[in-house]
Amino acid sequence: MVPVFWLSMRQLTGRWRVILITLLAALPVGLAVIVHFAASDDESFDENFIDVLLDGMLVAGIMPIVTMALSTASFGNELEDRALSFLTLRPIARWRIAIPKLLASIAISGPLLIASGVIAALLGFDGSVKAAVAVGVAVLVGVIAYAAIFTWAGLVTSRPLVFALIYVFLWEGVISSFINGVNYLSIRGYTLGIMHGINESEFQVLSERAIEFPAAIVGAVAVTLVFTFLGVRRLRRMDVP
Amino acid sequence: MTTTTEEPINEPVPAQPVIDVRSVSKWFGNVVAVNDVTLQVFPGITGLLGPNGAGKTTILHLMAGLASCSDGSVTILGEPVRDNPAMYQRVGVMSEHEAVYGFYTGRQFVEFAARMQNLKPVKEPVDRAIEMVALADAQDRAVGTYSRGMRQRIRLAAAMVHDPDVLILDEPLNGTDPRQRIEFHETMVRIAEQGKTILISSHILEEVETLATRILLMVSGKLAAAGDFRAIRAKLDEQAYKVRVVTDSPRAMAAALVGMEEVDSVSVGPEEGELIALSRNVNALQLSIPRLAQEHGIRLLRVEPMDESLESIFSYVVER
Repeated sequence: MVPVFWLSMRQLTGRWRVILITLLAALPVGLAVIVHFAASDDESFDENFIDVLLDGMLVAGIMPIVTMALSTASFGNELEDRALSFLTLRPIARWRIAIPKLLASIAISGPLLIASGVIAALLGFDGSVKAAVAVGVAVLVGVIAYAAIFTWAGLVTSRPLVFALIYVFLWEGVISSFINGVNYLSIRGYTLGIMHGINESEFQVLSERAIEFPAAIVGAVAVTLVFTFLGVRRLRRMDVP
Repeated sequence: MTTTTEEPINEPVPAQPVIDVRSVSKWFGNVVAVNDVTLQVFPGITGLLGPNGAGKTTILHLMAGLASCSDGSVTILGEPVRDNPAMYQRVGVMSEHEAVYGFYTGRQFVEFAARMQNLKPVKEPVDRAIEMVALADAQDRAVGTYSRGMRQRIRLAAAMVHDPDVLILDEPLNGTDPRQRIEFHETMVRIAEQGKTILISSHILEEVETLATRILLMVSGKLAAAGDFRAIRAKLDEQAYKVRVVTDSPRAMAAALVGMEEVDSVSVGPEEGELIALSRNVNALQLSIPRLAQEHGIRLLRVEPMDESLESIFSYVVER
């Protein structure tokens, strides 16, 4: 698994991709710096900070986009270049190809997004470590679940980015905002549920829409396992170009 | 060697086939890429020939386990090829369009293949594989800077690094120059002499002619002929080829051509000054035409073979 992991790390860390995702991940931090100095005395600061910056920008926007850019490419590029056969023609089980690729995309997007969320939370919550931990853990779980879905998407469709964009903006962005029950089938819902579950007091503003902490954990784990299984199965059954 | 759908040219064959393809079909939607093909491959070098679009790559993908059969079965060394990664311990495959990781050096690329084959240590097999494809001088250069021929060779090294018993190579000579082809031939012969099985596909007859002793001819997804190369070649040589000659003196040229031993017949073509010569020895004919023209003071405007393509040759074989 180790050679495939390092190969994938190298494939996914092309200069422009790294610059783009780093800039995207830096956006919440930049915005947090601005609002920290400009508007932290505002009465509704905490509510707006969570709603707009953490939920709207980080969890619903940047986290899926960055993860999507990496995870869909981990197999998508190999299929496009017809390089996947180089890996599948080796005496290793297909899961030992799929899992390292999934881990590589998590290893790149995870630290960037966790750092972004943690720094933004520290700025937004006046250095509250508990808030930062809640955001960090929630983002990590969200990244892992998204990575599993988008890695699978990279294997089942020749247009994984289109699939991922529709999923993120339609399902996670629009539908889950209007229909409460959808939060139980949404990575965004799991992420916010975990954030709220770890630190209810500082994320009280989420109490109306966040799903229960155990449900969020179970949902995220289930999605990760199911889509990882589907990805491995797809890799075993597909015709490799 | 094989079972064919048309007039097979048989030869004595060993009992156990290394690659055994039985009634295999593969279709993509309404398109039938491979149609009920049965063949066996035995130790030594076998050429898989056919024009572009004949189904060579598809059948190789089926043999390599990269694609599933719509019908029928494929085994290599008695084992099923699909969903059987352990098989690749003994099988090396170089597919036609497979990309290389341009950021690796040639050596890193082969080392990566060796690690994927679970070889320990990797140094000795990597050295041997790189030496075999004569890329020792360029092994520390990034693969992205390699010429097409060099990429083919480094991919070949990666396919052979684990010293497989069976080698399946899809158009391995694409992009290689004549010197590299000679080296490739020598390498393949050396490997085959060790009792290994090599299957090489090509759409160029001459590429495999000097290399393979047995060939499989595919046309339109079917196995058109199979057997000893020389026997099939002799059959092909029975066909008269057409050569188009355009000259400023067609009458004089026709008279000169009719007198040649290599020419079966000469007819007048539709274009002004055009002649169509039929010959069973097209190479000799093409060499003789300029000499004839010079001797008779005829100006040649064009000389070209009209049906030298594999497709026409294979059509001839299939129709017989």
